[in-house]
Amino acid sequence: MSAIITPEQRILGAEPPIAKKANRLQATKLNNQMVNAYWEDLFRAKEEGRLVCWTEGIQLNPILQAADIAWCHGEAAAALLAARKESAAPQAHMETLGYDRELCSYARTHIGCGVMNQSSTVEAQTLLNVDARTLGSRIPAPDMIISAYPFCSTGQQWDNELYRTFGKKVPIFNISMDWVWGNKSSAKYMSGPEFREKVAFLKKQLQDCVRFIEGITGKPYDWDRLSDIMKYTKRAAELRLEAMRLCKARPSPASFFEWTNSIAPVNFLPGGPEIVHYFEQKKAEIESRIAQGIGSVPVEKYRLWWDGIMNWNKIGWLSDKFAGYDACMVAGRYTHMGFWQEPQVIDLRDPLDGMAQNYITCPISISAPQVIEKIIEHCEYYEIDGLILHGARTCRAFSYPQYMIADAVGKRLGLPVAMFEGDMVDETFYKDEVVSSRVEAMLEAIDASRARMR
Amino acid sequence: MNTVLDKFAQAAQRPYEHVKAWKQERGVKAVGTLPMHFPAEIIHATGALPVIVQEMPDAITSGGGAMYPFFCGYTRSIVDQVTEDQLGFLDAIMFTDHCVQLLSAADVIRISRPETTIHFHQLIASLRQPWSLESSVKTLRELVADLEEVLGVVVTEEALRHSISVFNENRRLIRDLYQMRRTGQIQLRASQMQHIVKSSMVMDKETHNALLRELIASLKTSTAPRSDEVAIFVSGHLCHAPRPEILDLIEDCGATIVDDDLYTGYRYVSTDVDAGIGDPIVALATAYIRKNDNVPCPTRIDPEVDWEEWLLGAVDRCGAQGLVVLLVKFCEPHYFAYPRIKAAFERNEVPHLMIETEHDGVAMENVRTKVESFVEMIKVQRAARAVAA
Repeated sequence: MSAIITPEQRILGAEPPIAKKANRLQATKLNNQMVNAYWEDLFRAKEEGRLVCWTEGIQLNPILQAADIAWCHGEAAAALLAARKESAAPQAHMETLGYDRELCSYARTHIGCGVMNQSSTVEAQTLLNVDARTLGSRIPAPDMIISAYPFCSTGQQWDNELYRTFGKKVPIFNISMDWVWGNKSSAKYMSGPEFREKVAFLKKQLQDCVRFIEGITGKPYDWDRLSDIMKYTKRAAELRLEAMRLCKARPSPASFFEWTNSIAPVNFLPGGPEIVHYFEQKKAEIESRIAQGIGSVPVEKYRLWWDGIMNWNKIGWLSDKFAGYDACMVAGRYTHMGFWQEPQVIDLRDPLDGMAQNYITCPISISAPQVIEKIIEHCEYYEIDGLILHGARTCRAFSYPQYMIADAVGKRLGLPVAMFEGDMVDETFYKDEVVSSRVEAMLEAIDASRARMR
Repeated sequence: MNTVLDKFAQAAQRPYEHVKAWKQERGVKAVGTLPMHFPAEIIHATGALPVIVQEMPDAITSGGGAMYPFFCGYTRSIVDQVTEDQLGFLDAIMFTDHCVQLLSAADVIRISRPETTIHFHQLIASLRQPWSLESSVKTLRELVADLEEVLGVVVTEEALRHSISVFNENRRLIRDLYQMRRTGQIQLRASQMQHIVKSSMVMDKETHNALLRELIASLKTSTAPRSDEVAIFVSGHLCHAPRPEILDLIEDCGATIVDDDLYTGYRYVSTDVDAGIGDPIVALATAYIRKNDNVPCPTRIDPEVDWEEWLLGAVDRCGAQGLVVLLVKFCEPHYFAYPRIKAAFERNEVPHLMIETEHDGVAMENVRTKVESFVEMIKVQRAARAVAA
């Protein structure tokens, strides 16, 4: 473990030496280009006379794209601002107004953008210290809000707050997503009467949502176009899953951090040939790496699982940090269990049903017993040595099962875990010294376990 | 009178001992429910005793190993109660409310104690959709069917109507007490009111009604004007009781709590079920949807109701001179709502004070200093207005 900090360094407050850098995939550059193009297109939407919808949670973008409506996905906006070190401004505005920092940081950042959009007068900008050049203030104000959040009640309340931030003048459509709890033993992952009932309820609301959209655009909805968009989305999702499964190889040719960097095409980018091409490129590069024996980290001594939402402020930094530990973060719940994770059920002749099934089985919407079973399957498939449990402090929906996950993988697979707190887009919750000490302890436990096996 | 109040206090302070004794004495089942909007009339109609699982003041011990500390005190407390084997006397637990922390705690409970029957029937949180009522009716019918299966009973419409009538009477009697307090006819302290409401959450309702009637008959009413103390409205704590010590502290600082929208307060009794609606399940669902008009709940999605505006009106109606907000740490719906309450009260120049509460303890002397300053400020303002007048 060349990167482990010595006690002397710790006393002196020295930074852990990052001796190695992660071996990034070239295809990721294409992702970044598409992401930049998407945001620039959104920033121009009002000038070009397009309607703008703000939404959070599930991937409603194909439904909006088919109606020629531009969209801002709240978490994506917050993550963008965090990745570009611009999330502090909207968060500060929210704190000025009295919003507690223990509130979902995605919501605080996104509503903060709403506040900035509301503050178009010079007087308001002076009061709130708004810099009109910031990314947050460039996001166009919504013409409509569609709320559809699985499991997390905070998501609905976030949209409700947006609605009020814009003076209740922007029409809102609330979709209620029922949680498949499993009152009956017949309730299984993606099957059983309870699941089908919840899917049917969601599908009906999606149909009503389309009527809401038609009411705003004044045009009949283009169902053929939705099928066409979903054709690309489905194919992109299939390619992504195939490419991820290839990372069973040793060394793993790509890491969880690379898959985090590839969320946009299956989360909020427009569905089209570009996203399919992207995952074809990515898969081809992965196959090439496997053929050449090239790993995602220079030395792969440990294969790890990341449980929790990504800390968007620190993707590249964490990627290198773990490379420094000779550890490859092979897979994770956020990337490998979500974002059109079940593309095979999408019937392009009637895509809403399959879309609803995917929405309802995202990793915060399935209950803990099913989450645990899925994680164990993944850990066995990818031959994981240990788990990183990133407790995103202001995302309780994602964090709550982590003690149970730790207990289950410990008992059933004998895997050690490292738990620490952080956050999605509020970097003040991340304490690197705590992370280092817990990760190092876990890696030492893996070493000790391996020594006993010899 | 004291005997009746003592009975309420005992049940409120030791709710589970009360339930266990009742079960043993009557040979009935007890079904736990989680807050906030569960229609307990349905459990009552099965013949079982409905019991709202309460936050307990005990320190979090083994439950701390099952849930992160950044969850609210109520959810961490109920997980701890389960891991400490304190809820085994319940024959089942049912819940209906969509709250991410409540759902999380329930999932932890299910995994920590797989032998626990804990079922969820999700009431739609969005109250103004065209399908909100229909969806709520469907959910409640499923809940009835599930309870029938779990408890091995049949729930008749007649039993449901009787339960609605009993619960309506309970709510009306407690509202009568609230009205007498608002007008200064009676002088019950806020902690005593909490005992009355909290005991209603765990006691047999007919028994509770009889005690309430006895209490009301025994109370000495006064027509004298309210004392010179500062009248305060207390708001918040949406799903469990604030520690009675905090309520006592506020009233020991020269204030009188004349009204509230606490869950273990007026919120719990605000809305009757319309017995005139033929189908009792439709009546219960309708009450659920309409409850937000009477006391807004920020955990529900209702574009037509503003809690802050309602609070301004409620403070004015009861003659309070200030608002104290009791905000539970990590309660996200309240975190969302509080800035609007703050802004509305500042805009209307109505004094308000926010106190954040935590399961693991509140620095009471700090709170005392804040409340004393708050009360003094109101007195100074009041005196200045009197001089100006």
